[in-house]
Amino acid sequence: MTIVIQRLLDVLSVGSTYALLALGLTLVYSVMNLINFAYGMMLVWSAFVAMVLVNAGVPTPLVLVTCVVFSALLSVAVGRVAFRPFLTAPPVTLLITSFGVELVLQYVALVIFGENPRILKVPTYLSQVYHVGGVRIPNSELTTIVTALIVVGGLYLVLNRTRFGIRIRAAAEQPEIARLMGISPGLILIAVFAISGAIAGVVGLLWFAQVGAITPRSDLDPTFKAFVAIVLGGLGNARGAVVGGLALGAIEVLLSAVLPDAALGYSDAIVFGSVIAILLWRPTGLVGVSTSL
Amino acid sequence: MTVPVIALRRDRPSGPAGILVGLAGPVLVALLVTALAAMVQAVTQGSISDIVLLFGINAIMVVGFQSFVGNTGIVSFGHVAFMAVGAYTAGILAVPVGLKAVVLPQLPGFLSHIELPILGTLIWGGAVAAAAALLTGVAIMRLSGAAASIATLGLLVIVNNILDHAHAVTRGPQSFYGVPQSTTFGWVFGSLIVVAALSALLKWSRAGLRARSVRDDAVAAEAAGVRRLPARLGPFMFSAFVTGVGGALYAQDLTAFSPGSFFVAQITGVLVMAIIGGLGSISGALVGATLISVLAELLRHVESGTPIGPVQVQAPLGISQAVLGVVLIVMLRWRPDGILGALELEIDPRRWRRAEGCEPADTPVPAAAPPEDMPTERTP
Repeated sequence: MTIVIQRLLDVLSVGSTYALLALGLTLVYSVMNLINFAYGMMLVWSAFVAMVLVNAGVPTPLVLVTCVVFSALLSVAVGRVAFRPFLTAPPVTLLITSFGVELVLQYVALVIFGENPRILKVPTYLSQVYHVGGVRIPNSELTTIVTALIVVGGLYLVLNRTRFGIRIRAAAEQPEIARLMGISPGLILIAVFAISGAIAGVVGLLWFAQVGAITPRSDLDPTFKAFVAIVLGGLGNARGAVVGGLALGAIEVLLSAVLPDAALGYSDAIVFGSVIAILLWRPTGLVGVSTSL
Repeated sequence: MTVPVIALRRDRPSGPAGILVGLAGPVLVALLVTALAAMVQAVTQGSISDIVLLFGINAIMVVGFQSFVGNTGIVSFGHVAFMAVGAYTAGILAVPVGLKAVVLPQLPGFLSHIELPILGTLIWGGAVAAAAALLTGVAIMRLSGAAASIATLGLLVIVNNILDHAHAVTRGPQSFYGVPQSTTFGWVFGSLIVVAALSALLKWSRAGLRARSVRDDAVAAEAAGVRRLPARLGPFMFSAFVTGVGGALYAQDLTAFSPGSFFVAQITGVLVMAIIGGLGSISGALVGATLISVLAELLRHVESGTPIGPVQVQAPLGISQAVLGVVLIVMLRWRPDGILGALELEIDPRRWRRAEGCEPADTPVPAAAPPEDMPTERTP
């Protein structure tokens, strides 16, 4: 029984990280069909900023706030400069554009921080472990789950309980009609990029606090995970992102528990393989409906 | 009366002779590229021959990439995987039998006694890559749009992961070495010309037409009896074959490589080259490959701080990557279809005869240079 609870906790922790990742990505996709290859770079930048601040002795809450604000601003700036001109372009063009953006953001990070891995110092209480009835609960996992709950809950309230959120959903569902109803697509875009960036800022800290070291090239891993999660759950769908993230986390944790040692090395291949298999079964993802939040 | 013999067109004249007309253009461009490379080789007296060879290999890769993306409209990030498959296949087959005991002691018996000359390794490299494409394409090609692109990315991760852990045949993450350096100018550019011709053949064949019909309107195509999966699978396998050949050449040029040599960084160049040239055109692929190779080479000089003419500039390492990114964005913004779009170079000798006899052409012939506002084939 304890082993089941332990695994469940792992699934929740890994899955909620992926769910957050996917959420930031899917929001932007829902309003402009952009699958953002540069998304992982937002995480990397957020983590780099955190590293600089932590090394300068800035207290943790301030680091957190600065990172989120910085990441949101960066995301809005990139969205405005690089993606806004492609608003009406086909999705493939957007995808390739984001590839270019990734290269540029990575280069700037390379110039400033260099190739070598930098250590992100994490507050010591994160590495604490609680023991509840035989179940091992690392504080880092708990923090991840709680953060995810707060972000997902907050986003749900914003999207469903405020006029502003309704506007975003309208723009995602029926861009033309939303425009006719006086919803400015430009403003919506800025808002969506800001939210996406803020989420990326949070996940960046969570992600690299667990990984430990940051390099300008460590953006691909989170980007891939986010891609897989949103495709798995259903593109452009907030619920899908959460479901897809949790599902991906579940697949990974289960595989690492079930696979024999010899096959463990292939877990990445098996994860991606099973995701493709799920897509064949449900081509529009687990949640299914396309482009609705 | 002047009738252009060489023209840029988006379709080919009908009939079997029309295929030859469509074939001649890309082959001519490939020949020109080869001549250019030979000239550079001669002028520099072979001092930069590794760069010239790499350029040729890249051109092959771009042609392979284009033959899939151009015909199906699915942007693939997975082609590096086929390059890796081709490279490792060629490597395993080419390592001398004597050395195999050292490099790959755990190699299965039937492989450990084989040592193929370069032609064999190229064909096998391509064939194994095509087989991998068939195996994975049956699943991936059922998806569309962004999901398909992401699935190809998944393919890359899967192949990379397998190469990293299949120690017995790939040495895992360690460097795979001992491959004889048999890639020569002749093999690279010979392959390029053959590959360009084959790619044009595919483009102008029924199979190419089917694939493009699915790309433009999958529902209408299916209503007209074109099945989506086979229509995409053909170009996917062909492009994997070409990319595999490119990988095989790459392996026997580098002589040592590891799974890390074939990952996302490798996509950048090929993707930018194909987009700059125009995703719909083989001629465009070759033009893009040439332009970007020259640009990358210039940037490499900037990185190392060597003066270009009177200008002495030095930028931090990695500038070429950033410039490629900017070039990509700027190109997509102002000319999303690339330099040539879907226009293909064509040579029509029949027009030549008409021009000589001064007979009026029976159909109006489009001007060699298309007007700027001409609607180009959209790549979805």
